[in-house]
Amino acid sequence: MIVYKEVCVGCGRCQPYCPAGAIFYEDHKSAIDQEACYECGTCLRSEICPVGAIVEPPHVYEYPRALRKYFSDPTSTHAVTGIQGRGTEESKTNDVTLRCPPGSVGVAIEIGRPTLGMGLRDIQKITRALAQSGEYEIEPNNPIHSMILNPETGDLKPELLDEKVLSAIIEMQFEKERLPGILQTIKKVIPQLDSVFTLDVVTMLDEGLSIPQDILDVIKSEGFMWRPNAKINLGLGRVTE
Amino acid sequence: MTHSLHREGKIESLEKDYAVFIYPARGYNYKGSAPKVRRLVEIVYQVGPANMIATTLRKNLYSGVEPEAVLDSIKEGCRVFTVFNSRDKIRDLLKNLKEADQGISIVVSGLIDRVRDIAAEVGINPHTINLSLGIHGGTEKLPPADIRQFTTMCGHAMISPKLVQDVIRRVKTGKVDSWKGSMILANPCACGIYNPHRSQEMLEDLSPLYTVSRW
Repeated sequence: MIVYKEVCVGCGRCQPYCPAGAIFYEDHKSAIDQEACYECGTCLRSEICPVGAIVEPPHVYEYPRALRKYFSDPTSTHAVTGIQGRGTEESKTNDVTLRCPPGSVGVAIEIGRPTLGMGLRDIQKITRALAQSGEYEIEPNNPIHSMILNPETGDLKPELLDEKVLSAIIEMQFEKERLPGILQTIKKVIPQLDSVFTLDVVTMLDEGLSIPQDILDVIKSEGFMWRPNAKINLGLGRVTE
Repeated sequence: MTHSLHREGKIESLEKDYAVFIYPARGYNYKGSAPKVRRLVEIVYQVGPANMIATTLRKNLYSGVEPEAVLDSIKEGCRVFTVFNSRDKIRDLLKNLKEADQGISIVVSGLIDRVRDIAAEVGINPHTINLSLGIHGGTEKLPPADIRQFTTMCGHAMISPKLVQDVIRRVKTGKVDSWKGSMILANPCACGIYNPHRSQEMLEDLSPLYTVSRW
């Protein structure tokens, strides 16, 4: 995003709206730090500017900067997945897709969340660790899959490494016996990261919203703990196509 | 994907916060989904949501969109995200959604124990769970937890920590009341699950504790 200095009246109302903290005063007008801006579009969508000085310039959609837009603006549709947002549909439609079937587990690493954002070099640290551990199986529909240059090393395409995004999600799905190895790999990469990530584990439920005990035991034994809130698919969907 | 499973705050506050997602799946029940989703949204309205968005509009109820506009916008594949601020409402909603039996995936995000009780009460046997294993990495760089309980209510992190601080300052100094402040915070949320009722209570809790340097 940019601010037209000729139009800006310097009221500063837009500045607190930026999740990246990228809007600042320059010569008594608001300006946007292009390096810090994730192109999430919050400043524009909020319609907070009284004179319409905030605009989205065409270069936002040029590769590789376009990645900022696709991974940071939830109203944009990712060019690869065709899905709005930064991941796939994960557990939300598992009752009809069975993407995470009985006996398997899904893991999502939500990079940059909450709030901080993350450079793609940090994402590469995670994809490399997963590749080196032999646990690299990022879902083909996951947007990060298209950013990988070499699946064997986990290296991302070099032209992307200087980009920043508000968040991106690495999603994997595998047999539940491999959950300890994945969690160990994730644990090892944590100290190398500048930013943050949130970690999700997806599993089908037993009768009466009972979480399979073997999954909970692995989570605990690998030094993690689940939080009291979760996303729960109620199982009301049906396949009709 | 929304980040609702990582919402932060006190348990007694999270007990008044249930995000709901209505989600047709491409290739499975996408075709012909529009009238079914519209019926489900009518049920949502009858129960009384705290906030809502349709992916066809991407504006929530506090960013200038009327309920009729949401219904009118629903077309093939439209997903709807909404949030409720009481246990009674979410129970009524799930009961009515089950009876409507539209065959579209529905997800509830909230405290596991409460959702378990409510599902049992209305005769629903949930299928899949997405557990949160928390935040990891450079957590020392995060805004403080009392600010994160606001920012994590937008699933896509569109609520800036600076905006939360600004609104606390405005409530503290009497420039806006807690409800108006809450609506200011709800405005940037592009996923429609920012709960302004919960946010209002949190503003009232927090503003007396804050000192401000700029009036």
